[in-house]
Amino acid sequence: MSDSNTLLAVFEDIEPAADGIGKLHELGVADENMDVISGIPIRPAILERPSAVTRVGWIALAGAILGLLLAVFFVWGIPYLFPLDAGGQPIYPVPQLLIIMFEMTMLGLMGFAFLGMLVDSGIPSYTPKEYVPEISDGRIAVLFSCPKEEQRKFVDALTKLGAKSVEPAEARQL
Amino acid sequence: MSAIAKALPNLRPEEMEDPKEHLMHDPLPRGEMNRMVLESMHTTTWKYWTVVTILAFLVVTCLGYAWYYLIMQGLGVSGDNRPVYWGVFLVNFVYWIGISHSGTLTSAILRVLKIESRRPFTRVAELMTAFAIVNAGLSIFMHMGRVWLAYWLIPYPNERGIWPDFHSPLMWDFMAITTYLICSSLYLYLPLIPDLAMVRDRSKGWVKTFYKIFAIGFRGTEGEWKNLHLAMNIFAFAIIPVAFSVHTIVAWDFAMATRPGWSSSVLGPYFVAGALLSGVAAVPIVLFFVRSTMKNMKYFLRPEHFDTVGKMLLIISMGWAYFYFNDYIVPWYAGDKWEKILTLFIEAGPQAWLWYLMLFCNIVVPWSVLWRKKWRQTPWLMAIVGILINVGMYTERYIIVPEMSTINRMPFTWHIYIPRVEVILTIGTFALFLLLYFAASRILPLIPNWEVQEGQEGHILRKIGKAKIPTISQID
Repeated sequence: MSDSNTLLAVFEDIEPAADGIGKLHELGVADENMDVISGIPIRPAILERPSAVTRVGWIALAGAILGLLLAVFFVWGIPYLFPLDAGGQPIYPVPQLLIIMFEMTMLGLMGFAFLGMLVDSGIPSYTPKEYVPEISDGRIAVLFSCPKEEQRKFVDALTKLGAKSVEPAEARQL
Repeated sequence: MSAIAKALPNLRPEEMEDPKEHLMHDPLPRGEMNRMVLESMHTTTWKYWTVVTILAFLVVTCLGYAWYYLIMQGLGVSGDNRPVYWGVFLVNFVYWIGISHSGTLTSAILRVLKIESRRPFTRVAELMTAFAIVNAGLSIFMHMGRVWLAYWLIPYPNERGIWPDFHSPLMWDFMAITTYLICSSLYLYLPLIPDLAMVRDRSKGWVKTFYKIFAIGFRGTEGEWKNLHLAMNIFAFAIIPVAFSVHTIVAWDFAMATRPGWSSSVLGPYFVAGALLSGVAAVPIVLFFVRSTMKNMKYFLRPEHFDTVGKMLLIISMGWAYFYFNDYIVPWYAGDKWEKILTLFIEAGPQAWLWYLMLFCNIVVPWSVLWRKKWRQTPWLMAIVGILINVGMYTERYIIVPEMSTINRMPFTWHIYIPRVEVILTIGTFALFLLLYFAASRILPLIPNWEVQEGQEGHILRKIGKAKIPTISQID
């Protein structure tokens, strides 16, 4: 959609929002040209939307592997570099070292799950964005692109289905 | 409720309940709920400031000045002396680690099991975790004496040419607690982001700037929710074994030593049960005070939530008693000479009252009160039970740490430990915990509003036959 407008339709509740999204599908708006902004998470199927793709799981897994490797360096590499003969104990006592490996693996897993959430969501971001504060009061906003010349048709259709407002999306400072 | 009860006197108590008594079936407009949470944050009375001033004074004197005194004079001003080198500082450390299990672990378990009544109080509990770990860390630093050398624990190539010894249980402790602190803080922060965004949307001036920074540009797009949910799920599942490992390793600090009383293979799970008991018991105390002192909290924190915590407490108390008995009977039956002397010392020695107090608070109190739903739903009673259990658990740690150190295999060293400057510092740590909590209650939304609203959206009353039955559907 080269000559298109981005509109923000605000709905009072889930039902009209779902109807509105259905109507947008009918009018030819593809899912990738649409986004839903809500104050609570809503299962995609409720709004007839495809499930968002997330890489958080993979990033977390990578973090766990990284944590494990770092732990392996700590518990195997360091005694190799600086052997410490403590009370006749082995230099590489496996049971003890498993504890450090477990802790660091979990730290990597969770630390990267957090980072993955940020990276995959594109946050932190302090640039202006399309948003209306009423969303956290329960409103549901549907952000979509439509051909410029057909804007009126989209506005009328969504207003008829209960949209409180359908306006050109304005990026504003959050 | 009464109208239904009169008409149908043979109904079971839960059938006579008005569904509106449950938060999930008593929704308000979301804007109104947001306003209530904000109002609770912004309303401060002279009583609040009086308490904060007193706490700040206690922190400055009992924590700041007393610690300065300890550093300047050395550990000689504490009660630590042969044979008791681990005194109240270690008691406090174990106690605060236990309290830290109140939030993250409780919240994670309830989240994983999808217990719906968890929704309004998880954050109230999670905040305790963060502040309790701070206090646990401070207790260790106090115990170190030369606290300025604490950085030696950090593994990095240094001019000393030595690295921490990863064979040592103390090093495991450092790793476990660091992991738990970082992960708990992130787990606290993750579900906080949408609520911070809500506060950001309703703030002005520098306050808005503050919340804007910490809300990190969250809007609530589909992708953001999906990522947030997945990250929270990973945390909820992963943090449970980490929390278990933390207190198990704390137990191993003791159990790895071949001392009478300490060297026990069951000490790990016994400590975990104890941590859960004291941690979960701290929840109704905080819930009670938040509910009674903060505006609008009676809507969010209801008797049903005390009921949930009460049931958990009863089960955990039984678990603790089981582990305690296990830890008690095996050495008793084995009949080792030193174990027998130690047991006699604890049960009939000069500080035997501590042992009876522990059993009373940890077993008699919860078992005699928590079996009854009406009592579990009485907030002030639950707060008293929580306080008594915490007294019992603090006593238990006191018995394990200094009392058990008193009796060793060298009778000529036996000496009863009397805490000195530690008492002042302990008051200081409790004051710090409360001060941090009071401050947080006015900065952070204590109620995870979006989670409550999400739950309310999914709860409906479904008509089956002649009755309306509370039903839940998952909207996420």
